[in-house]
Amino acid sequence: MNLDVYGDTLCALVSAAALASSGNTVRLHLADAQMADGLRTGNCPYREPGLAAMIAEQVQAKRLDFAGITDLPGERSAVVWLALSPDLLHEAHGIIQQLPLNAGRDWLVVNQSTFPVGSTEALQASLQARCAGGQNTCAAVSLPDLLTEGDAIAGFMRADRWLLGTDVDWARNLVSELLRPFNRRRNAIMLMQPREAEFTKLAINGMLATRLSYMNDMANLADNLNVDIDRVRQGMGADKRIGDAYLYPGCGFGGQAFSRDVMSLASTLQHSGMQPQLLDQVLQINERQKEVLFRKLWERYGTHLRGRKVAMWGVAFKPTSTRIDNAPSLKLLEALWAQGVEVHVHDPRALPALAEWAGERDDLVLHDDPYEAADGADALMLVTEWKAYWSPDLARLKAVMNTPVLLDGRNVWEPAFIKECGFEYYGIGRR
Amino acid sequence: MIVDMQDRAGMSQSWQALLAHGDAMCGKHLADIFAADSRRFKRLTRECGPLVLDISKQRIEEQTLGYLMDVAREQRLDSWIARLFGGERVNDSEGRAAMHWALRLPVGAECDVDGVDVAAQVHAELDRMEAIVNQIRAGQWRGATGEVVTDVINIGVGGSDLGPLMMTEALTDSRKQTASPLRVHFASTMDGSQLSQLLRRVSAHSTLFVISSKSFSTIDTLSNAETARHWLQRELGNREGLLDCHFVAVSSAVAKMTEWGVAEQNQMKLWDWVGGRYSLWSTIGLPIALSIGMDGFRELLAGAHEMDEHFKSAPWLENLPVLMGMVGVWNTNVLGINAHAILPYDGRMKELPNYLEQLEMESNGKSVTRSGEKVQWATCPIVWGNVGPNAQHAFYQLLHQGTEAVTCDFIMPARRYLEKRHNAAAPELVAQHELALANCLAQSRLLALGDAALVDAESMPAEKRYRGNQPSSTLLLDELTPRSMGALIALYEHKVFVQSVIWDINPFDQWGVEMGKKIAVDTLARLRGAECGATDGSTAGLVERILRG
Repeated sequence: MNLDVYGDTLCALVSAAALASSGNTVRLHLADAQMADGLRTGNCPYREPGLAAMIAEQVQAKRLDFAGITDLPGERSAVVWLALSPDLLHEAHGIIQQLPLNAGRDWLVVNQSTFPVGSTEALQASLQARCAGGQNTCAAVSLPDLLTEGDAIAGFMRADRWLLGTDVDWARNLVSELLRPFNRRRNAIMLMQPREAEFTKLAINGMLATRLSYMNDMANLADNLNVDIDRVRQGMGADKRIGDAYLYPGCGFGGQAFSRDVMSLASTLQHSGMQPQLLDQVLQINERQKEVLFRKLWERYGTHLRGRKVAMWGVAFKPTSTRIDNAPSLKLLEALWAQGVEVHVHDPRALPALAEWAGERDDLVLHDDPYEAADGADALMLVTEWKAYWSPDLARLKAVMNTPVLLDGRNVWEPAFIKECGFEYYGIGRR
Repeated sequence: MIVDMQDRAGMSQSWQALLAHGDAMCGKHLADIFAADSRRFKRLTRECGPLVLDISKQRIEEQTLGYLMDVAREQRLDSWIARLFGGERVNDSEGRAAMHWALRLPVGAECDVDGVDVAAQVHAELDRMEAIVNQIRAGQWRGATGEVVTDVINIGVGGSDLGPLMMTEALTDSRKQTASPLRVHFASTMDGSQLSQLLRRVSAHSTLFVISSKSFSTIDTLSNAETARHWLQRELGNREGLLDCHFVAVSSAVAKMTEWGVAEQNQMKLWDWVGGRYSLWSTIGLPIALSIGMDGFRELLAGAHEMDEHFKSAPWLENLPVLMGMVGVWNTNVLGINAHAILPYDGRMKELPNYLEQLEMESNGKSVTRSGEKVQWATCPIVWGNVGPNAQHAFYQLLHQGTEAVTCDFIMPARRYLEKRHNAAAPELVAQHELALANCLAQSRLLALGDAALVDAESMPAEKRYRGNQPSSTLLLDELTPRSMGALIALYEHKVFVQSVIWDINPFDQWGVEMGKKIAVDTLARLRGAECGATDGSTAGLVERILRG
């Protein structure tokens, strides 16, 4: 089959590569032409195991090609696959509006993007409004992106489950046909209404966020009760009803998927006056948690931070990412700056995004070397747990820092060992 | 009808002429006056910026204004205005200037008083306040435990409470979104009523107190501040930075702020030459700025400055403060009316009557002239009021059918609910606003015309008849905004000043409020069981009854 994938999310790249690998002819529409050049030569913006090679392979086999985000689908294409970032709903409608309907062309739109609940139905409505009175048959279905980073390709090629939201029979059949090569062991397609599929995706993210905020709440209590949260975490995780995943306390989570806009079910449920109460609280706890390292520093220095120098390791919203959307580092930076603190930042990949967000300012210095960032610092905050930070050269760190105060926002260091090395240690609920 | 002015022969010519005109006028009913002149509204309405003043429902004719202006001229109102704006010590009993107008000068204005660049001084302090306001509004003012401050409690009384409270309430629709939630509260009463309620609702971690006291010796305020300090120490422990993080202060007494424990960077200053009831334009206005942002606060100042310029330069017959002041003199001294009601037809202005009670009665509730003699005429009337539609269910009965003559100020914005935030509910709310406007117009009409406003009044029984002839002014704001509120309050300030000039009294001191506080010190000792000297029988009896429990 011929199909066109729109978007530069990890989901878009994985879907395009996987669909090409099963014999389809896929055209991937990207906003950034440079990204296409990179992908052709094996350079992938996401460090997803196997992805770069797979894309290059499919390009070589001439089953995968690239186009601009505003370009029309190919001549023989009948399927448009949307895997856009959550803030591009308007663009999604733009793509629908320009689909050529001449010569009775039929269109299937598969929406993998995380838009507000009801968006796929809105896309279908505008598609059908365009078809009204003509010879065309068109449908939009929801197929939420459920991939896990680090395991994304397997997550598509051998999915545990697909949530397929549609009430149109031929569309369901066509999507099933597209997914047939990846749906062999058993039928993993769960059929539901489009808004139910979208809502399920949201409910999953909400549950994960709730677990994290719950653990952060526990960690803050542990701080006051002289309890080590890490032992508590392991004890909880051993309970089969709970499990290990998403129980790590930390200095807050970020990323687009967890943004308030996405979580608030914006524009659809808001009209009914409904607000998710628990989720609101969860997100509020998280916003507060993003400043937890600041509060520890504030108390450590007896509220006197003006003129101090703080090093920050990691600003990306999570390791491996170049992005800083809703990242805790941003709230920390603002809090530190507001108190007259000079911040020296190291991050392996997100410095360009940070520089663009912050603009030129005197109280922000970016470093390529983590120890240079720590040079002369009154404290070091670990905010994103890049692997390279897990076993630092502590002797060197202690030698360069002005005051050896470590604030471990991800609980990656062992408090006892760090203290033995002559540091003051502050974790999230660690002792 | 002439009160307290029996001896006309000894009076100046302009007063004699005014009183003679008053004799001719006092028999006339507003219903007849309106019936006789179809152009009355046009003749007796004046505008300034966002304000329209309609005095056509006052018991005057156009020529009345001429007689009043003659009196003003004779009392040297022009030179008094010049002295006020020249920074002279018009508050003679305390040897101070009264330069509240200087607080609203635009940046770079020339204002040299005794070699001091007052405008520069004022703006330097505004800039200091701006830094604090911006820090709080950005969600970056931190409590001692690092939490973001979300509740600000203004501790102050009198001018340090009424002005900021009135204005913050009035400008509730001009509030600007803050980075994190920010709530502004007010605690004034010396018995701790409001403070104790508030302390139950807020978290110590995220509460900032503003101690607002020009003298920094007001016992009401200092006792509330002490309670706040002890509460914080109990809640958070006696930790480092507690006072620095949770207290800012506004005062002219720098040493006292420091002595209390307010950090130098948390002190905002004002000057001797600002009276408490004239101080909302200064850093005392911090709660207002927190609520509407510094841009909004500067608009408020600009609106007041516009009125200052108008007062200084507009011909008196076009001059709103002069006209309002002189019409008040007419009502008080010629028509002998000693009660004045403030009736805003907009719930947002519910604190305005309280505010104006202080402004008018603390300023002009005097009976000694500037030369130290007892006045021979009536001065400030009793001022009170409430939100008009609510007052209709309370004291309007007396206005319509009681035995007292009362003058009224009706105040209303012409347009409302245009802000974006009201979009969804706008049609219903606009209808409610129209209802309030209609009531405002209807009430002032009925008060003025009485039975003449009714159909076939003669057939009604006596208890359903309306006497009418109660004079009123109507102040129409185009909208309730920082600018129009600035102009409105400055209008009242200057009106009060105009009247003080005619009555030859000092509107800027308040000796009458001092002695009671001093006597309370002895009484407190008595209540706490100390042996004290003799007191009157009533006080002794009540103290005994309280101590008995």
